[in-house]
Amino acid sequence: MSDHRHTIKKERRYGKITVAGLLTTSVALLATAGVYAGLSARATAAESVTSGTLNLTLSPDVGAGFSNFAGKMAPGDTDNVYVNLNNTGTLASAAGMTLGVTGLPANALTNGSVVGEGLNVTATQCSVAWTLATGVCSGTTTPILATTVVSAMGAGVALSNIPALVAATGQVAHVQVSLGLVATETSVNGVPPAATIQGLTTTLTYTFTEQQRTGVATNQ
Amino acid sequence: MHCLIRLNACRTAALAAVLLLGVGLVPSPAAAARIGGRTTGAESISSATWGATASTTSMTFTSRRSQYSTVTNSGVVALVAESFLVTVSTSGPPTPTFTILACTSAWAGRRCNGGAGTQIGGTFATGTSTTVSAAFPVAVGGSIYLGVRPAMGGIQATTITVMPEVTAPSQVQAPVKTNQ
Repeated sequence: MSDHRHTIKKERRYGKITVAGLLTTSVALLATAGVYAGLSARATAAESVTSGTLNLTLSPDVGAGFSNFAGKMAPGDTDNVYVNLNNTGTLASAAGMTLGVTGLPANALTNGSVVGEGLNVTATQCSVAWTLATGVCSGTTTPILATTVVSAMGAGVALSNIPALVAATGQVAHVQVSLGLVATETSVNGVPPAATIQGLTTTLTYTFTEQQRTGVATNQ
Repeated sequence: MHCLIRLNACRTAALAAVLLLGVGLVPSPAAAARIGGRTTGAESISSATWGATASTTSMTFTSRRSQYSTVTNSGVVALVAESFLVTVSTSGPPTPTFTILACTSAWAGRRCNGGAGTQIGGTFATGTSTTVSAAFPVAVGGSIYLGVRPAMGGIQATTITVMPEVTAPSQVQAPVKTNQ
């Protein structure tokens, strides 16, 4: 009987301790929440921003544009291709346009392995569309690339004097890309030399690259 | 296994890797400052071959009878001229000399289109090696016909080689400009 009473007292004491613990924990949590609530502040504003685009496209000016040259190029021959370079993005381009030319497969036409021989490229801009039949520009011509061997163009070379593309967007440059072949070798009894430019085929990839105009800081 | 044994070293390596990855992923201000536009075009190109091939390059003379060689344009471009490396050798004496005559059609005996043909170079003496040019236009697959004749002197098993050579660009067709 005495033991039973002692047990009841013990249980009540434990209950009190539990309630006290819960109360303490609750107070602590509420106090913490209060601190956070007191430090929170917020202000909002909205600004609409749209990024520009820089988009350079290549299309035939007159004729077929870049395509397969059906004939076999002999030394001194010239293959003229007429293309339009168009800045169709919303950003103007900077003056630093480059043209890279690579050949696949790389061979003596493109890699300079036969000294003094190989393909070369010249580029000229016309203020109006070129005349395909004659290869003549009826407007004003502007040289943008002096004759350069393809073997030196793999990494891209700078084009110069490209006013039509440096200006605002939507501008078109009418460009004549001339491909020439230089060869000074002798075939003996129908046999070309061991290191030869003759009878080779490659596919040239022309890559025009432009950079956006200089960044503009606007205070508003 | 190494990481279990040398924990600190592994932590250091991992930290370094994380830092390097972070550097790689975060674009540098310079890279982010400008964007570029690019466009490409492709063009396939083949180069020509040029050359002339002789039906016979070496002729041995034991009599004064003429011998002949047909030289054919074996390239893919027309020729405007050709060269010939002429070498005469003999065990002589006697030491004969030779002349070379060209004809645009096949020889009929010693006659070329009813004439004597066109002499190439001068007279070739024994023991010499000479390169001479001939301005004969030859279309692709076309030929010129050479006649080699002992000019004077006795014949003593003399060998003459006539090796055709074609050098670009001077001996191939005029340059062609194509607009496409």
